[in-house]
Amino acid sequence: MPLHNSASSSASGRPSIELITILVVCAIIFAVPTLLNNDYLLNKLARYLVLGILAMSLSLSWGYAGILNLGQAMSFGLGSYAMAMTLKLKTVPVHTGPQGLPDFMVWNNVTSLPWFWQPFESHLFAICAGMLVPAAVAAALGWFMFRGRVTGVYVAIITLAAMVVLNLVIIDQQQYTGGFNGITDLAQLEYFGIAFDAYSRATYYLVSFCLTGALLLAYAFTQTKAGLIIQAIRDHESRVRYFGYDVGAYQIAAFALSAAIAGLAGMLYTIVMEFASPTFLGVQLSLSVVVWCAVGGRQSLLGALLGAILVAGVQGALSESAAFVETWTLVMGALFVLIVLFLPKGLAGLAGSLWTLLQWRRVDGISPVRQFHQTEGGHERLSSAE
Amino acid sequence: MDQFIQQIFTGLSIGSILLLVALGLSIIYGSMGIINLAHGEFVMLGAYGAWLMQTKFGLGLFASLVPIFLLVALFGWLIERFVLSFLNNRPLDTILATWGVGIMLQQAVRLTVGGELRYVKMPELLSSSTEVLGVQVSLYRIFLLGMAVVLFALTWLLMNRTTVGMKLRAIIQDRSIAASFGVNSRRIYGLTFAYGAGLAGLAGALVSPLKSVSPEMGTTYVIDAFMVVVLGGVQSLIGTVASAFILGELSGAIAFLQNDTVAKATVLLAIVVLIRFKPQGMFSARVRA
Amino acid sequence: MSAYLQLSDIQVSFNGFLALNQLNLEVNKGELRCLIGPNGAGKTTALDLICGKIKHSAGSVAFDGIMLDGLEDYEIARAGVGRKFQVPSVFRELTVSENLQVARAKHPGVFRNLRPGYRRADDEAVDRLAILVGLEDHLNMPASFLSHGQTQWLEIGMLVAQDAALILMDEPTAGMTSQETQKTADLFLRLKGRHTLIVVEHDMGFVKAIGDVISVMHLGRLLAQGSASEVESNPEVRKAYLGSGGITHA
Repeated sequence: MPLHNSASSSASGRPSIELITILVVCAIIFAVPTLLNNDYLLNKLARYLVLGILAMSLSLSWGYAGILNLGQAMSFGLGSYAMAMTLKLKTVPVHTGPQGLPDFMVWNNVTSLPWFWQPFESHLFAICAGMLVPAAVAAALGWFMFRGRVTGVYVAIITLAAMVVLNLVIIDQQQYTGGFNGITDLAQLEYFGIAFDAYSRATYYLVSFCLTGALLLAYAFTQTKAGLIIQAIRDHESRVRYFGYDVGAYQIAAFALSAAIAGLAGMLYTIVMEFASPTFLGVQLSLSVVVWCAVGGRQSLLGALLGAILVAGVQGALSESAAFVETWTLVMGALFVLIVLFLPKGLAGLAGSLWTLLQWRRVDGISPVRQFHQTEGGHERLSSAE
Repeated sequence: MDQFIQQIFTGLSIGSILLLVALGLSIIYGSMGIINLAHGEFVMLGAYGAWLMQTKFGLGLFASLVPIFLLVALFGWLIERFVLSFLNNRPLDTILATWGVGIMLQQAVRLTVGGELRYVKMPELLSSSTEVLGVQVSLYRIFLLGMAVVLFALTWLLMNRTTVGMKLRAIIQDRSIAASFGVNSRRIYGLTFAYGAGLAGLAGALVSPLKSVSPEMGTTYVIDAFMVVVLGGVQSLIGTVASAFILGELSGAIAFLQNDTVAKATVLLAIVVLIRFKPQGMFSARVRA
Repeated sequence: MSAYLQLSDIQVSFNGFLALNQLNLEVNKGELRCLIGPNGAGKTTALDLICGKIKHSAGSVAFDGIMLDGLEDYEIARAGVGRKFQVPSVFRELTVSENLQVARAKHPGVFRNLRPGYRRADDEAVDRLAILVGLEDHLNMPASFLSHGQTQWLEIGMLVAQDAALILMDEPTAGMTSQETQKTADLFLRLKGRHTLIVVEHDMGFVKAIGDVISVMHLGRLLAQGSASEVESNPEVRKAYLGSGGITHA
């Protein structure tokens, strides 16, 4: 008797439905340039896609592993700076010193390229560093927190504080980092004989390709047993421990993977925006990621991704007029509060509930209303788990 | 020597502002477990209140304090009633909800009053400075220190010597048991949140003559206040006082020796390390888990 | 020759209050030991101590030749100790089958569990476990939908899935109907021998149905030990229970 395919179950079909949805969305993203022949709009869209990757990475740590990382933009910023550093060294020098020093170093009387800038002469090194450095920083921070069994609110405070510290350091050390202005006037990334101009299809496809890869990687992770175990940890941390799992190790793994994906998003952001700035690892952006995730659905990779595209997209569309943006921010705040209160699983959760309702209508089972209420009740209790 | 005493006073002054801002947060976090990220916006509202009273009604700072306290407290009560009461037992989500509320408040102020910087006049009486222990100290800063101490004392009395305070402490211990003995926890929570918000409003009004008033001013305060509460230990008012002044002196001293950025970064790092090794804070009694 | 599980001169204090005071307890391999005692006797504390939830201030715990003192809780679990909690502890947001999959923890390492395709490998075992605890019709239901009794069963099933050598059960029948309790008793009798069990229970009927040796705890120490009739006729045990109205209603 194949128990796992019983018709009344919604859960057994979910993974494959999720995968199909992911593939469909990625296909649509790839198809956009054939319909849209406007490089300016493609650039904007690529930007939202990058922010989508960032939100998706947070969903992995917040939604799946229950680690509310308020400093997700730290990984994003590290990736962004890694890319900016390597592109800066390839730029056509306007104001440079003897060894092609970046202009801001010349202004700050730095005479030779600092040691930690030197490896960035290589694009390959920078691309690896853009993911590995955030992952390593996250692993170290995770080791520091999770080995001490820090949970809940304290994780949120520590991650936020760590990001603010890094932000302050970057602004303070302007002779090495460009300080408040960030790193500007970058060269274009050239790889495989393709120049990735921010306003080009090549860049859009690069972003789409990375998005698909990151999404599939994250999805594959959630489908492994480790992915199941991190969800169990989110639900009931100590219970997992008494089965013999080293909870800290799993949390560190999820945290580091999430950071690596955020780092990838950061690198792409530099390519799309053509600069890196301390605001990329600022409190504002970091908390916005949390909003996108919450709106789209923190426990859904795709939901978080689409949430970011939706919210950032609307914000971008309204940015033509200052009055619109201001009002939109107000509306966004209200919408966000309502979603936190009444839709803890975001729009993806709403879609999931509707789907379940439809399923119950087709088969005789528990009454849909009861099912719905129970689901909602379940969330209430679970999201309180610290 | 003068330099040293000057430094101590700078630290005390930073500390008293920290205490003013953190006191309300400490009450709300300590007793209700709510991470109120809108706290900074309450401070901002208080500052705008002072500005509004001064420019529109010609009221001085002293006369504005009571109405500001009441207005911001009313605001807090409404938010507790219509937002936070839906989030029982979801402490992590209170972070998100209050942050959303904070955005709305900021934006509402920006839309109605405008985003430009505003300035509040210092009361004539306190605008000079006096000599204490051989150094010049601004009278207003001494006044702030006094206000911080007075408000702290009032809060302490309220918590430990009144029926409302006793009921609140009962709810902190065990909400359902308190409820079964007839304590109306809804009402008490509403009052507590309102009081905490009112304190934040007062803090905003009091610091407004020293700083420029803007819709974003709350953001820095909320992080600082949080650090004070975390360092002092949840549910420990005395801890809040101690940590406010420790942080004040510390950031004053490091800022003097290095610069503001290094001071901020160092204090943050110190607190991160503290949370890791002593999450219950420095001054709180051991609570049975 | 020491026993399979040996607690020697254990002392546990909560802010000066001695929850366990010079506790000595020995359990042999394959035994099903019942632990009873009036409220506050320290039964749950004893289980907490064995599985590493709390630390003792004096004494030692040895299990199957390993000293458990100073090991982390998950290391104790890896050494073969499983624990069922008084408040049923399952992963409420995961489905029944996912709960059982997590509980199958033969290989607890992160990298091992990053391999794809675990679900297929576990399916058959999970089906068998679900049938064992009567949840085969609810495999894809989130655990938060289960009734209290079903949740208890799920946690028991998870412990069977964990396949721990020593299983600690804290009031496994709380909230169960008498029928369900009977089924639990049957299951425990089947587990006995292959696993070693320590069961904390208040229900004397259940204890008599499953236990060979009963240990009675009082005020943080072992008061008496023996068969049900021996324990019931022990005058010290009667005295200890007097305040709570006799042993059968404790």
